[in-house]
Amino acid sequence: MTLLGIAWRSIRQRPLQSALTALSLALGVALVVATLVVSGVVTRAFASGAGLGYNMIVGAKGSPLQLVLNSVYLISRPIENVPWALYEEFLPAESRRDGRAGRFATSVRTTIPICMGDYYRGYRVVGTNRAYFERLTGGDGKPFAFSAGTNFRDEDLYTAVIGAEVAARLGLDVGADIAPQHGADPTKIHDPFRVTGVLARTGTPVDRGVYVNMEGFYLQDGHAKPTGESPDADGVAPAPGLLPYAAREVTAILVETAAPPGLPPELMAMELSRTLNEGRDAQAAMPVREMRQLLDLFVRPLELLLLLVTVLVVVVSAVGILVSMVGSALERSRDVAIMRALGAGRGQVLACVLLEAVLLAGIGGLAGWALGHGIVAAIAPWVTAQAGVHVGFFSAAPAELLLVPLLVGLAILAALIPALSAYRTDVARWL
Amino acid sequence: MNASVIELEAVRKSFVMPDGERADVLDIPSFALAEGEQCALEGTSGSGKSTLLHVISGIMRPDAGRVSIGGIDITRLPEARRDRLRADTLGLVFQQFNLLAGFTALENVLVAMSFGSARPDRWRAADLLAAVGLSHRLHHRPAQLSIGQQQRVAVARALANRPRAVLADEPTASVDAGHRRQVIDLMRDTCTEQGVALLVVTHDPTVAAEFPRRLRLEDFNRAAAHARASHG
Repeated sequence: MTLLGIAWRSIRQRPLQSALTALSLALGVALVVATLVVSGVVTRAFASGAGLGYNMIVGAKGSPLQLVLNSVYLISRPIENVPWALYEEFLPAESRRDGRAGRFATSVRTTIPICMGDYYRGYRVVGTNRAYFERLTGGDGKPFAFSAGTNFRDEDLYTAVIGAEVAARLGLDVGADIAPQHGADPTKIHDPFRVTGVLARTGTPVDRGVYVNMEGFYLQDGHAKPTGESPDADGVAPAPGLLPYAAREVTAILVETAAPPGLPPELMAMELSRTLNEGRDAQAAMPVREMRQLLDLFVRPLELLLLLVTVLVVVVSAVGILVSMVGSALERSRDVAIMRALGAGRGQVLACVLLEAVLLAGIGGLAGWALGHGIVAAIAPWVTAQAGVHVGFFSAAPAELLLVPLLVGLAILAALIPALSAYRTDVARWL
Repeated sequence: MNASVIELEAVRKSFVMPDGERADVLDIPSFALAEGEQCALEGTSGSGKSTLLHVISGIMRPDAGRVSIGGIDITRLPEARRDRLRADTLGLVFQQFNLLAGFTALENVLVAMSFGSARPDRWRAADLLAAVGLSHRLHHRPAQLSIGQQQRVAVARALANRPRAVLADEPTASVDAGHRRQVIDLMRDTCTEQGVALLVVTHDPTVAAEFPRRLRLEDFNRAAAHARASHG
């Protein structure tokens, strides 16, 4: 029988006490693991703005953070729209009805309009054009890929592309017809759009988006801007049967600014942002900057607090092991004396007690780790709804890898007291 | 005469009493136990029986004198080597049996093997338990065994590492009168079969009467004799 076997028997000798100690360790570790994982995934997701394929969002005046949360993360309260004319200011001459380049056309490389406000079974519906999936990336810096089907064509008005999460959760596939609901009103259901493609999972908010052809989106009830009071209500539309320009609005414009020769694109972005923000109609928000500010203001201090809680939980857990082992000291002294009489050296009984602590910490720690990930999996839908990121049982945070070794290390330190007591046991006194 | 497996020479041991005075417990000019010999040591309570066994087994170091186990003077050995020598050459049976409560009968024997030089041998442990009539109780814990069965496990455990001598401290004290003879017969027969010397300390004259060699501790422990004279 090995020393490890002897330590394990010693743990089993006090099943209730050992189980309660391991349970308290597991609960502490589970709490920390769940918080670390969720916090880590959310932080990483919010910090991933650099890989979107655009560096600026133009939208209605208001909170730039809300604009970013709405447009990038598909969360937070809906925002107001901006006129179609503003969108046209970003277009080159060949894309405009008047044949003249827009005011900001030379400052941008990519311009993608998005229209929001509808939902499909709880998921945000985004009206856009096919360029969204051709020119942008999912937030992870990689081009969009389709796990099934293809991108929709701008000419097919009632077509849609759905994110991986939407497809998986709602059991949708290519060919399915989806009829969005207008705003928050479940009684107002729009025309159905046919799914032409399912996006491969990106692990970003894109997975939760329902992307419909913007031209079809415009034709739904309540999506046309009332034009009676509009001075330029000319009735001109891109093609027969489509919504006239004058009745169009966009919720936001996703912009990748151009980089002047020898200068970084950020410089152009700053300049464009200043120009837009000085105007009355719109604001420009830079997702990376907004998210960095959010992280610096709230998330980093929370992470520090979390680190402190982690350390405290581990220390309390180690103290729990100490209390448990000191509580059984009387019983242990007799067993130690018997083993010493049978020829066990002082080093061996010391090692046995330390191994007992290691086993308790290891079992409690690993059970807690598994429980923590179970909690993450259980609250995944809530996290996804609140933060717009996908988490699951196997989502991991780097810090958690240190948790169990740290716990075992502290358990050894805590167990040194009963271990030294075992080392010094007076054999003759206990026999 | 066989060679001695245990040999004591001019062994003295005393303890500091609560009042600060030193009390002599052992003062033994000489004592020896031959290979395979079976001996009963009688003594009244407080005559130093347990202390003597602790000194012989190396659990306690004497104040003076020589204690040889298989020709090795253990008083000169560091504690770690005394522990290993005890595991390899001596088997101990205690008054309260002192089985490990969380371990099965088989594991109690295996634990003793873990501290010896040889590898723990599960088959030998099972054989030893079978030899004391417990082949059907290998996986029972002490609490699930009768007093007599616990004592049998203790005997099997004492023989785990093929010792040269078994030291038993009042092995029948917790056994009812009807089973005393049974326990002594078991120990004697098993030690005879395994060729192991047996030294039993007891205050029970009927137990001592079972042994071919019977000594009174007061007869060769001058400290006990002196104490008896002082009180007598």
